[in-house]
Amino acid sequence: MLNKLLKKIIKTASGRTRFVMAVMGLSVAMVLILSAVQIQVNYNDLLHSKTNQDSIANFLVLNKSITNSTKNSTLSNENIAQLKKQSFVDEVGILTPSRFKASVESYSDRFPFSTDISFESVPSSFIDVNNANWKWDENSNYIPIIAPNMFLDFYNFQFSLSQNLPQLTQDIVKIIIFKLNIHTAKGTISFNAKIVGFSDRITSLLVPQEFMDWANQRYNVGQQAQPSRVIIRTKDPGNPALVKYLQENGLVTDADKTRFSKYRQIVNAVVNISWITGAVMLVFALLIFTLFIQLTIASCKEEIQLLITLGASPKQLQRFLMKQFFPSNIIIILISLMAISGLQYLAYQFLKEQNIFLHSLISYYTLLVGVIILFALWFVNILTIRKYIAVKD
Amino acid sequence: MQIELKQLVPIPLKDKLLQRVSDIWNTNVSFSSDQQIKIKAPSGSGKTTFIHTLYKLRYDYAGDVLYNGINIKNITDDDLANIRKQKISIIFQDLRLFPNLTAGENIELNRVLQYPFHEKEKITEMAEKLGVTSILNQRAGLCSYGEQQRIAIIRALMQPFELLLMDEPFSHLDQKNIHKATALIQEECSKRKAGFILTDLDDDEHFKYSQTLNL
Repeated sequence: MLNKLLKKIIKTASGRTRFVMAVMGLSVAMVLILSAVQIQVNYNDLLHSKTNQDSIANFLVLNKSITNSTKNSTLSNENIAQLKKQSFVDEVGILTPSRFKASVESYSDRFPFSTDISFESVPSSFIDVNNANWKWDENSNYIPIIAPNMFLDFYNFQFSLSQNLPQLTQDIVKIIIFKLNIHTAKGTISFNAKIVGFSDRITSLLVPQEFMDWANQRYNVGQQAQPSRVIIRTKDPGNPALVKYLQENGLVTDADKTRFSKYRQIVNAVVNISWITGAVMLVFALLIFTLFIQLTIASCKEEIQLLITLGASPKQLQRFLMKQFFPSNIIIILISLMAISGLQYLAYQFLKEQNIFLHSLISYYTLLVGVIILFALWFVNILTIRKYIAVKD
Repeated sequence: MQIELKQLVPIPLKDKLLQRVSDIWNTNVSFSSDQQIKIKAPSGSGKTTFIHTLYKLRYDYAGDVLYNGINIKNITDDDLANIRKQKISIIFQDLRLFPNLTAGENIELNRVLQYPFHEKEKITEMAEKLGVTSILNQRAGLCSYGEQQRIAIIRALMQPFELLLMDEPFSHLDQKNIHKATALIQEECSKRKAGFILTDLDDDEHFKYSQTLNL
């Protein structure tokens, strides 16, 4: 009964329109700030989650850019050690080039070909072809080779047409055994070789590290022993810090893979702007709500004064006012969270069709921020009410 | 409940008051629950100032006011609220009703502000005694002064108290209604074994005063 009477005394003084406006301001701000959090979480998810990772893009082959003034394109041990220290580099592998003269030719007359050639090798952990044949020792019958898909495409769509040769599938190519010649000063040594897999990760013909080490040692024609290319594994090839590092150190890589960093910077900026907008809106909304409380109290100041004169305690009135204002805040936050959940689900549905995978539910961070803001609101409410409900007004 | 005054002088009236003799100002005097005190004074001599000072509504005075030996300057807001709910009730000269509440709601508010002393039915019972039943559902702001004064009296009698402060409580009432009101006030004070302090302009025989003081 007391609350009913207090409500009648205090409500008649404050305006309904003002209350609706304050609630709307707070709701908009709440949706903005909570969606900023959710966007940030989604963005991080998209960048780092397994389902969205691209196995090709995470491996970058680096080398010094060759210009007219480049005297030495090799990478020193210092260069490599420094690269290993960078936070965006998970692993560094050295690409070893063949330092012997080699050629390949066909055994078959029906399918004649012959070409000079060179190879590279990398540590096995950088290879994405899982094949039991990918090993070599001196007793092996043949040397396994991994070829870039690009080579087969080049053959099928250009070479075979110009030479009137049949087009080949990956499986057929894998059956063909051809002859690998190593030319030394003392004569030519021949091996059998076979393509065991195709890869897009490294655009060279790869042989096992064991063979490369053995052959380089044995048939070395006396060039440099320092590597000039390395392969790195990174979580995020679009990382602007990586791109900046490469530029500063005169290194180049496949531009396609790092081009994403430009978009990243733009998206970063957009996400940051949504944070700032949300935060500024929230501050304004808190201000509006505080002003609304002040206005309500100010507009029924005489009534409150009379209530205190009659014996209502300030604490009693503060509790009553808190009950008037705070539940609306809880409802605003709940509605905002529901709206964001709805939007998140829609985004999930929409992006799923484009093979981009988001969580269908909002993140814990968003909920947590909602709770934190609720506490902030509670604090602001209670502070304003305490400040304006005092006996000695 | 005892209220003591020690050398109390309101600062705005200081020069005027120190030139004449008073039973209250600038002296030591005390009031307790077994007394029915009449304070007589002409207009402008500080009756309302006196009542408001006793009720801790104003602070512009020299000297001290003590509730049961405690200086009211040291009483916290919450303690003061409890004293106003339980020990001291008041009828203001300017009535001070909530104009937007009905007459009945104004009374009800003071009934439920603390654990109720009277049942709700008591409101209609008292209203009948003072002849204001018909306006209980009317907005207080629309009632005449005479009606508002009777509502203010009923409101003050709705709560528990040990001392009732009345500032010219019958100024808008005729003799017949004053008689009804005094009977009700006397009855309620007796029920609580409470005393009162009443201020007015002239001598009167409304109550059997235990003391009449000149302000």
